[in-house]
Amino acid sequence: MQILLEQIVPTFFEVEQIAGSEVWGKKISFTKGEHVHVVAPSGSGKTSLIHFIYGLRRDYEGIISYQNENIKNFSLEIFSTHRQKNLSIIFQDLRLFADQTVRENIELKRQLSPYHPPQKIDEMANRLGISDKLNRLAKTCSYGEQQRIAIIRSLMQPFDFLLLDEPFSNLDENNRIKAFELIEEECKQRNASMIFADLKELDFFKGQRILKV
Amino acid sequence: MPLSFKNIAPLFNTSKNKISKWLSYFGLGIGVLLLLSSMQMFININNLLKENNPRKNGFDFFSITKVITNENMGKDNTFKDDELTEIKSQPTIENAVPLISNQYRVKASAGTIIPFSTDLFLESIDDAFIDTVPPSFIWEPGQQTIPIIFSSDFLELYNVFAPSQDLPQLSSKTISSVNIIVEIYGTMGVQNYKGNIVALSDRINSILVPKTFMEWSNLNFGGVAKVNPSRIYIKTKDANNPQLITFLESKNYHLNKDKTKFGRIKKILQNIVSALGVFGILVIVLALMLFSFYLQLMIARSKENLQLLLTLGYSPNWLSKTVAKTWIPVYIFVVIGAVIITALLHYAFVKISFVERNDLSYFLHWSVLAVGLLLLALSVFTNYRLVKKELYRIV
Repeated sequence: MQILLEQIVPTFFEVEQIAGSEVWGKKISFTKGEHVHVVAPSGSGKTSLIHFIYGLRRDYEGIISYQNENIKNFSLEIFSTHRQKNLSIIFQDLRLFADQTVRENIELKRQLSPYHPPQKIDEMANRLGISDKLNRLAKTCSYGEQQRIAIIRSLMQPFDFLLLDEPFSNLDENNRIKAFELIEEECKQRNASMIFADLKELDFFKGQRILKV
Repeated sequence: MPLSFKNIAPLFNTSKNKISKWLSYFGLGIGVLLLLSSMQMFININNLLKENNPRKNGFDFFSITKVITNENMGKDNTFKDDELTEIKSQPTIENAVPLISNQYRVKASAGTIIPFSTDLFLESIDDAFIDTVPPSFIWEPGQQTIPIIFSSDFLELYNVFAPSQDLPQLSSKTISSVNIIVEIYGTMGVQNYKGNIVALSDRINSILVPKTFMEWSNLNFGGVAKVNPSRIYIKTKDANNPQLITFLESKNYHLNKDKTKFGRIKKILQNIVSALGVFGILVIVLALMLFSFYLQLMIARSKENLQLLLTLGYSPNWLSKTVAKTWIPVYIFVVIGAVIITALLHYAFVKISFVERNDLSYFLHWSVLAVGLLLLALSVFTNYRLVKKELYRIV
């Protein structure tokens, strides 16, 4: 799959806000297998961009297309197919089911479009150090733990692109490295791309494609 | 393991408003029961009152005469041509034809087998007004046999007094084989004809002969070319139409409605049952509405969870189907319960309704079962549509 952004500008932006941006108002294509690091300071529209690409918001001008099809024409049904097979996401605000256990949260995604067997949940939880939290309610976990739950959840399905919106903001350096390694491994397995948005440039992406919003 | 409602069930907030849920189940049950049993009763009434229905193609037939009072006794109380034209021109009257009676003396006897003899009257009317007209009901000059259509009421009367007169009782089948000798007295002297009863009429209380015979005999025996009728038969959409009744009363015409009463009773019964059925439909609609409020509330309370499911890639079609499907067992239970109660009520009705058993089946009519199935499908479908609509609304 290929994702193409053509002259995207949020409708709520002033003209001067897009000046100097390597994303807004430009033509950008994301190709499967190539990681992209989107670097954007607060208020530059980083989360909006991720939501535009994922199809959650439509308040932009320009065209975003999957495989040359304008996603503004997609029905919710078509989006659901893409979100099951081609696109996965880690939200900045995580979006977990607060009253479900950690395992249930992850299973809800895994069962929708199984890529891994259930045992993989334990394995990943173990790697990220939250295996003892699997049977606890999500709302009782710390923010850092919830971030790791959201990461594991996003890796349960097949995908061509993984959208990440500040996924490590509440992780210490050690956990960041573990999480990044896991994500990278999983992307490699699928020959998939990360579209990784963060406030500042991360060391993980040295020598890779970087877009400054 | 394929996804099922079990996976997402905990995400629905179903704890509140249980009363409206149970009320709607109950209402649906009552509504379906009302609709199905009134349908079955409608069919029962139709079957029971089918044979004797004097209405033909949705019309009422009845006769009118002029009211005989002390003032007009002995005067000419026949209908004149202009009066007939006026009757025919009434918007509530489809058609009106005269009943022409004989203008000579007629005597009938049944030969030696049934030693019975009586003075008689004959009438004729347009074939279109007779409910039973066999092909043999024709007469041409020179024909010695006169086909007769006999009122079934007269046959009943005959069978009442026959035993006391040592006469045999006759069934509607055997009466056609009785040889009747019709003696006609007139200007040409006495002539004997053979009478043959070819049919019985439920509608017209008379002894009917073909029009051709009546015209010929009135001319040749009575010496009258034109006879003014004393009875007029009226064909109308509804003998109870107030406009029609008002007209007839204003003209001082007497309405003989006996024969239309039966049809009216059937109509009234069916109207009552239809009204019950409509009420049933209303209750079903209300119950489904109540349930849809419950669903809407449930979805509104679970809005955030549902939004997140859609965001994660759950298909709205799948969600709607899965949610709607969870109520299939409840609906099956409710509808089958209503069908069973309807069947029991129907069984009890057949048992106690004093009708001959072969008139009604102990089982429900297939259309009742079909409507039951249809309601089941409708309930599930409306739920599916509603959930889908609500899901699209919360995105």
